[in-house]
Amino acid sequence: MGATGQIATKDLRLRLRDRSAIIIGIVAPLALAYIFHLVFGNVLAQESLALQYGLVDLDDSEISESLGAILEQIEAEGQLAVTDFADAAAADAAVEAGDISAYMLLRPGLGEAAVSADEFTIEVVGDVDNPTATQILGSIASEFGAGIGRAQLSVTTALALLGGQPPPDVVTWGEEAAQSPAAFTFDDVSADTRQLDSTTFFAAGMAVFFLFFTVQFGVIGLLEEEQEGTLPRLLAAPVARAQVVGGKALLSFLLGLISMGVLIVATHFLMGATWGPPLGVALLVVAGVLAATSVVGLVAGFAKTAEGAGNLASIIAVILGMLGGTFFPVGQGDDFLSKLSYLTPHAWFMRGLAQISGGAEWTAALPAVGALLLFALVLGSAGWVLLNRRLAR
Amino acid sequence: MANVLEAEGLIKSFGDLVAVNDVSFHIEEGETFGLLGPNGAGKTTSISMVAGLLEPDRGAIQVSGTPIRTNSTAGKTDVGLVPQELAIYPDLTGAENLRFFGRLYGMPADKLASRVDQVLELIGLAERRDDRTKEYSGGMKRRLNIGIGLLHEPRLLILDEPTVGVDPQSRNSILESVEHLSDRGMAVLYTTHYMEEAERLCDRVAIIDEGVIKAEGTRRDLVSLVGEKDRISVTASGDLAQISQLAAGLPGVFGASPSDGSVEVLAADASTLLPDLMNCFSSSGASITGVQIFEPNLEAVFLHLTGKALRD
Repeated sequence: MGATGQIATKDLRLRLRDRSAIIIGIVAPLALAYIFHLVFGNVLAQESLALQYGLVDLDDSEISESLGAILEQIEAEGQLAVTDFADAAAADAAVEAGDISAYMLLRPGLGEAAVSADEFTIEVVGDVDNPTATQILGSIASEFGAGIGRAQLSVTTALALLGGQPPPDVVTWGEEAAQSPAAFTFDDVSADTRQLDSTTFFAAGMAVFFLFFTVQFGVIGLLEEEQEGTLPRLLAAPVARAQVVGGKALLSFLLGLISMGVLIVATHFLMGATWGPPLGVALLVVAGVLAATSVVGLVAGFAKTAEGAGNLASIIAVILGMLGGTFFPVGQGDDFLSKLSYLTPHAWFMRGLAQISGGAEWTAALPAVGALLLFALVLGSAGWVLLNRRLAR
Repeated sequence: MANVLEAEGLIKSFGDLVAVNDVSFHIEEGETFGLLGPNGAGKTTSISMVAGLLEPDRGAIQVSGTPIRTNSTAGKTDVGLVPQELAIYPDLTGAENLRFFGRLYGMPADKLASRVDQVLELIGLAERRDDRTKEYSGGMKRRLNIGIGLLHEPRLLILDEPTVGVDPQSRNSILESVEHLSDRGMAVLYTTHYMEEAERLCDRVAIIDEGVIKAEGTRRDLVSLVGEKDRISVTASGDLAQISQLAAGLPGVFGASPSDGSVEVLAADASTLLPDLMNCFSSSGASITGVQIFEPNLEAVFLHLTGKALRD
């Protein structure tokens, strides 16, 4: 093992002995993730949208039945639950009671209007306290209506071509048009709008938030050596300055990896966090730890004392953590805050994880990994130069 | 004897302050060389350059023929540094501190293990080897600080005021340890502002003040520079006036006079004069009851050279 490894091993032993790294790197984020999960979990959880819907089919036509069939198909995919109601009053009562978030009301004459190319209405009635769920059901209704519209246009065109005689299977055409696969799908959405489930969100958020504190034990240790008088002895040894800086950076990297690794395993088994494909997660973690080490290294390069560096790094860690969406999602819109969050490694880590935790391939994390590595390269290079210059003084 | 250290024309400035100005000295194998001067005289700056911690503005340093530079590891294996401040890790044990620094110096595992045992024995910490050093007394920490410096058996050991803030018992123990080092052929560069330490340990001393070496040589050389002499006080019975006259005629004696039951003799070198002086007393039938030798000390030399006391 070279001098870099010797210095990192020595420091790792010291940090494990004083337990500070264990507390900051593992205990605190794990405890906070669990507490946040308990307290705020339902606020952010996708499952809290409670996609419980109702269907009131007063038309009882083939068209209305086809809409019911579509809802049942989506229900079978586990995306929502549908309950049939005999009339609007029963459905209203269910909404009032909170049993369902919204319902579709298919009034008599809907099917007839659809096949005769007349205007028709699909009513959606929803809970005012759950506008998102109501909007989703409204979107389904609109898409169904658009499908009917396409069928009506096809039928009208066919009638014109056939001299006004309706073809015998006009109803079947309408049904097929309404049930076309393009009408209702729950596809993957873009990275900007994907969101982690609440458990994984808080687990990942706390892990990456505290990562920026954990890595301080390595790089800022260089300033502690300076203050405690051991640095001259290191530099008087046949050890290059870069090896001393490298040893500290290596410790930051190791502590970060250990911290993230333990948290990923612990939150998966203790809290049920779903981090995603191991390869993608590993790449994100490595890139994230490198970025965190670089940020703290740059701070250490500027600071005059270990205390000053620790304080400054902590302030920066909190600001970047808040801005980067480790406590609450900030990447859900196109607003200023969302754009600003791209300046933080935290945001890239969270977005990268959101990409892959929902079941996407590990390669979906690569853009975020690339961004994190860019942070590491730019900030790390600057920090490296500053710290080596510091030792040369 | 071959020179282990050669420092030539060292100059180091910090802004407008010239901390070290044209300092040159050398140390031979097995020699203990002292840099004696008050705080701020340039001692630590000088040894920082020798240890490769500071780059001189001008001048050159070679250890065993290898140039010492801050940006190079060459030659540093031959140097052991004992900084003035404690340079040990409080949460590591004594043995772990030694092993860590031994590995940095590239010592092979088997040699390192036996050498750690030897050094712990030498500095009297063998029984406390597995205790964390934060539990050590101040003196024990100082001894470990020295032990780390000599662990890899350097050809040149640099000790920067190793007894500052140490209790008398530990101080004596440290000085005894240093005395043994030169016996093993190690070249020692010892800085201090304690005159008695320099006198006890150093074969040669450089008196440094305001970044300049004022004088350099053995203690006797330095004393002779300022004309200081040994004084011998012989307590005896008999005709002390006659004995004084006889003693005054001995070679190397500058003067002798009776004084209240004793004869006071001023000489160039008391140790060489003493046998002849004793013969002089016995041939006169005097009965000697006591002999005291007062050699001129470096404190007086420093005062003479700089016009101020060492502890100013």
